[in-house]
Amino acid sequence: MPRDTGFGSVACEGYEALLEDYLNGELSGADARVASEHWQNCAACRDALQNAAASLRLLRTAEPSADPGPGFAHMVMARIRTAETEYDNAGHANFWQPFVSLGWRFVASATFAVGLLVSYNAGLGHRLQPAGTQVRPIQSLDLFAPEPAGAPANRSEVLMMVADNSHAKF
Amino acid sequence: MAASATALTLPFQSGERKVDDRELVRLSQNGTEAAFEELVRRHQQRVFALVAGILHRPDDVEDVAQQVFLKAYLGIKRFDQRAAFSTWLYKIAVNECWDYLRKKKVRPLVYEADLSEEQVSRLDGIVSTNRPPESASVRTETREILDRMLSTLPEQDKQLLVLKEIEGFSVQELAEILDLNVNTVKVRLFRARGRIMETYRRRQNSAAKGHATSAANRKE
Repeated sequence: MPRDTGFGSVACEGYEALLEDYLNGELSGADARVASEHWQNCAACRDALQNAAASLRLLRTAEPSADPGPGFAHMVMARIRTAETEYDNAGHANFWQPFVSLGWRFVASATFAVGLLVSYNAGLGHRLQPAGTQVRPIQSLDLFAPEPAGAPANRSEVLMMVADNSHAKF
Repeated sequence: MAASATALTLPFQSGERKVDDRELVRLSQNGTEAAFEELVRRHQQRVFALVAGILHRPDDVEDVAQQVFLKAYLGIKRFDQRAAFSTWLYKIAVNECWDYLRKKKVRPLVYEADLSEEQVSRLDGIVSTNRPPESASVRTETREILDRMLSTLPEQDKQLLVLKEIEGFSVQELAEILDLNVNTVKVRLFRARGRIMETYRRRQNSAAKGHATSAANRKE
């Protein structure tokens, strides 16, 4: 049955491929017999075939695209070489990239930690000390010196101190 | 690929014998740049035709065609030669064209303007006599008119008609390139023919109406 698709008379479904073959001169044998018997009795297929033949004449007036010429192959090879060079460079960069980013992260973390310590030492440490407490500067750093003793509170402590000093001399 | 391999004189360079695509592909896979260059030379015209048939934008055709060969070069080591090199290459070309159209979001050019009376009579001459235009300027103009009519068709119809009738691809090739059944290609082609002729007839009628109106206006 011919169909109406809004584009005028069209061939019967199932015969379109045969008509296309006929148009291209590729129909022979039993197929050719079946097709010719059909369109002798089907006006829609005959119209569609005439239309298709006219389209063939119309479309074949246009010339195919021209050959791009011998320079094209050279341009392609040049583009390939450029792409390969870029790919190689990108490959080297990719190999070192994880190490570089790890290094930068380490540097950033260390800088942050040092900054934190310095700021703590400069401001925060002082603020945490109770008011009125004075920090005595250390005069000398003699690790083996005995602990400085405070002032004796009574007579027994004076005697103990004298005894300690005498013992240290001998 | 090793550039040093190109220093060898290959059989196809000296013209001793015709080397087929399979051997050139094998040589390319082994790193012979000159073999790939020969493949480019052999297939550049068809790739150009295919890209031009799909894109319909002459300015972009060369760039996309170069990109097709670059992709083929980068993928040639994975090509197992089960299909012909040309089929494999044309599939790359079709994918590249579709990628390009998608990325650029190119809208097809649609010409709504009707044809002039002179243009219609010129086309009538071609359609009825099967005589192609003789002068280059008329051929160029005919191609423009044809492009205008083709632009009104659905994209796939347009591609099939251009690739088959203008660029010379066979039904078998189109089926392989576009991953379609051979019968489907034939049916679509036949329907597309009907559509372009319907467009042509519509424009023919519209030009005739325009002519009648202007004649009536002159009378008044």
